[in-house]
Amino acid sequence: MTDIQTSTPKTPDPAPASDLSSVVRIQYLDDSNARFTEQNGFLSLAATVYNAETQADEEKTWERIFLHAAFPFDMPTSYISVQDKDQKEIGMIRELSALSPDTQKILQGELARKYYAPKIERILSVKERYGFSYWRVDLVGVKDFSFTVQDTYRSMLKVDHSHIFILDVDGNRFEIPDVEALDRQSYKKIELYL
Amino acid sequence: MLEIDKMPAALVCLLGERGIAKESILLCAKTDISPEHVYCDNWLIATKDDLILVSGVKTLVPKNMTPAEQLLHPEKLTCDFAEIGWQYYPVSKISDMKVENLISDARMTAVYKEDENDTGKPVLLSFLSGSAKNSANLFIKYFGQLKEKGEIKPDDEDFDREIICPKCGRRYPDPNRKICPHCMDKGKLIKRMGGFFLKYKMSIVVIFIIMVLSAVLSVITPYFSNSFFYDEVLAETGAFFGNILLVLGIVIGTRIINSVFSMISASVSARITAKVIYDLKKTIFASIERLSLSFFTGRQTGGLMTQVNSDASSIYWFFVDGFQSLVVNVMTIIVIVILMFALHPLLAFLSLVTLPLFVWSIKIIFHKLDKLWAKRYGSRRSMNAQLSDVLSGVRVVKAFSKEREETTRFHARSKRVAHDDKALSDFETWAFPMVDMLLYIGNIMVWAVGGWMCVKGTLTYGTLLTFVTYMNMVYGPMYFFVDMVNWGADCLNAVNRLLEIMDAVPEVVERPDPVRLENVQGRVTFKDVEFSYVKNRKVIDGVSFDIEAGKVIGIVGHTGAGKSTLANLLIRLYDVSKGEILIDGVNVRDLAFADIRKNVAIVSQETYLFMGTILDNIRYARPDATYEEVLEASKIAGAHDFIMKLPDAYATRIGFGYRDLSGGERQRVSIARAILRNPKILILDEATAAMDTQTERQIQSALERLTKDRTTIMIAHRLSTLRSADKLIVIENGKMPEFGTHKELLEKKGIYYKLYKLQADALKNVGIEA
Repeated sequence: MTDIQTSTPKTPDPAPASDLSSVVRIQYLDDSNARFTEQNGFLSLAATVYNAETQADEEKTWERIFLHAAFPFDMPTSYISVQDKDQKEIGMIRELSALSPDTQKILQGELARKYYAPKIERILSVKERYGFSYWRVDLVGVKDFSFTVQDTYRSMLKVDHSHIFILDVDGNRFEIPDVEALDRQSYKKIELYL
Repeated sequence: MLEIDKMPAALVCLLGERGIAKESILLCAKTDISPEHVYCDNWLIATKDDLILVSGVKTLVPKNMTPAEQLLHPEKLTCDFAEIGWQYYPVSKISDMKVENLISDARMTAVYKEDENDTGKPVLLSFLSGSAKNSANLFIKYFGQLKEKGEIKPDDEDFDREIICPKCGRRYPDPNRKICPHCMDKGKLIKRMGGFFLKYKMSIVVIFIIMVLSAVLSVITPYFSNSFFYDEVLAETGAFFGNILLVLGIVIGTRIINSVFSMISASVSARITAKVIYDLKKTIFASIERLSLSFFTGRQTGGLMTQVNSDASSIYWFFVDGFQSLVVNVMTIIVIVILMFALHPLLAFLSLVTLPLFVWSIKIIFHKLDKLWAKRYGSRRSMNAQLSDVLSGVRVVKAFSKEREETTRFHARSKRVAHDDKALSDFETWAFPMVDMLLYIGNIMVWAVGGWMCVKGTLTYGTLLTFVTYMNMVYGPMYFFVDMVNWGADCLNAVNRLLEIMDAVPEVVERPDPVRLENVQGRVTFKDVEFSYVKNRKVIDGVSFDIEAGKVIGIVGHTGAGKSTLANLLIRLYDVSKGEILIDGVNVRDLAFADIRKNVAIVSQETYLFMGTILDNIRYARPDATYEEVLEASKIAGAHDFIMKLPDAYATRIGFGYRDLSGGERQRVSIARAILRNPKILILDEATAAMDTQTERQIQSALERLTKDRTTIMIAHRLSTLRSADKLIVIENGKMPEFGTHKELLEKKGIYYKLYKLQADALKNVGIEA
């Protein structure tokens, strides 16, 4: 028996075995039908995709595309949605590592940029004041950084029992990849919110 | 020059060296992250012709300044600006500047076009954290102005410097309420709270006098039952030798008087506090009703009222219970300590010598206890949440036969609760006896020294006993004092939360002298309307149309296209961010709320029925409507037939704990409610979506009769619903690409045509020609 929250498969299912695939079709993009390019830090795409209206495959290009992971915490490099500038999905990348090394490098860079959140190394102090908490932390590379959190308990995004994100009032996310790996003093300061 | 962020002198120097005079700079702002994820200073600088991006390492800061102080006193920074990057773009070639949100931070991009015919290529201007988004958005806004009109007109609203706390330099978490939780003055809170009590000052004076008297009495009692009793009554040398009844009388008498005093003060203060809490709740509820919809979408509404109630009761108990005991205890202790030192300074010193250690250790114990309590509270909350979640979703659990999994999940949480419970009681069992030991040590010292003095004859036995009693009377309240600190903090938190609601400023406000519309015709005009719930995410983008009075208009579009938002804007649940909405040629912003809500009725997807009878619910819109009118309205809405099938018909109670209506039934009741309002403008927002086609047709034909001389806006994605519409508006991604009659739109072969064909095909598939 497994706990729902902890059963996290880290690799995508091997093949679309479900019966649903006969009802709905997900457009997957890979080296055979898509070519990703990068210029000045912006991604563009040329791909052959299925057009539901003409009911045929069509070659198209997009000047700018955006990536969005479907399961950003469980499978950060699988099931990546590729979207156009209006957030309309062009297709999905099932598994990043199945693409050519060059493409992988481009896409990984973009994903890293998108999902980047400063990591907290040490918690210097957390002061609760009337529904807000004032944090002083050491980030990786930045000493004594401060931010403010509203409604602390609800601002903790808990990915699993030890991996958390803290959302501040400006919408910034600060990551603690493993709370148990924090030093004892830091851990004690956030223990209550976990 | 418009400085969104203040340029450091070193940067001005640097720009000067590159030939950019300070005078030629028209606009500048700062963002804060480099492409390598390092915090740095990126300056966006615009002159008449050039956009310059300078990135540099952070300004050096004097050692003893906090980040907050740096914000507040930029002039005190030693501004070394070490340049690490420099980019130029001609203003004329840059367009479409925007902030693209990433998951945590964001990037600012623009499109670079060589000339008019160029399709353009994207350029990255800067990365920024959420904290710099405001600056970036302002820069974009004024850069647009600069490019379009060649000059910048700053909008005062954008530069409300008061969004920063003058004391610590942090931004106010809620800019509408200029209160910084970090520097909030406790005194101010207590003063405001005191304002509510001020109405009852006479009673408060009475309470105080009684409390002082009762404190004095409680101190006198031990004197009579110990010192006086042993030394004056039992001792042969005493002045009242043998007069035991006298002592008993005094002791019992003071006890009784004391009890009467405390009863009086408790009942008076309970009454005042109850009244104060009532006043407070009344004020708060009035404030809540006054607020705009956005206040509620910003926080969890469900918990709001519960929070108000629990906060109010924690204030109540603090003042009824805590505050009283505090005053009594403080008085008692002061009097006792004075008495002890007057009686015998050495013994007084001995009995109080362990007191600091005692206070210190209970402080530690309570601190630890607090943590344990909070932990237990957390685990209980999570267990309860899961329990109520599973129980209310028990149909789903059973349908997927997940009973075992749910049981396991429950076990895990229940185990945690048990663990925390045990930790708490374990701690309590050893911590308190340890502290009592300290008290005991003090006792022993007094007994030892006092006993020895008794034997030597320098101290009477009665005085010794009085001392021991007093000593315990001093130590006892210490537990209370330490706990009182937390109690007080909780109460202040509660006060603050309540005041937060009272202070919140509604975003949609009625003009002080609104235009009153006597005879509304029902002409509705949208002019270049733009709207966004969250900054920079336009939900409605440049929508314009004009509906003549009495016409029926249909709004079509995909789910989430922004159809309902148009309706919400018309009844002013929100205000447009650009453009204007007119009713009979008058801007809705200028109209009285009463007139808008009287003449515009909305039946929406979310139908909310209040607790009460069906009749109450239909009449909610117009309490003076006659029974006949209610019947007519229900008939038009197609609600009459189902209502008449209920045993209590219109008197059927609905809502929590009573009969539950189905989705379609609820919708029909709310349509009846809107019809009864007899508005000039009727908005049907997917009003018939939850009904079967036959019922929908019936209501449609009734509504068609009803819509005769009133402006009707119908929102639907089922196109058959809109057959009777005079004109149709197609909404897609917040824009309005098509507008016209059914025929015109079909001929246009655009989005509407596609939608129509899709739905017609679907019907054809099951053998129906549309």
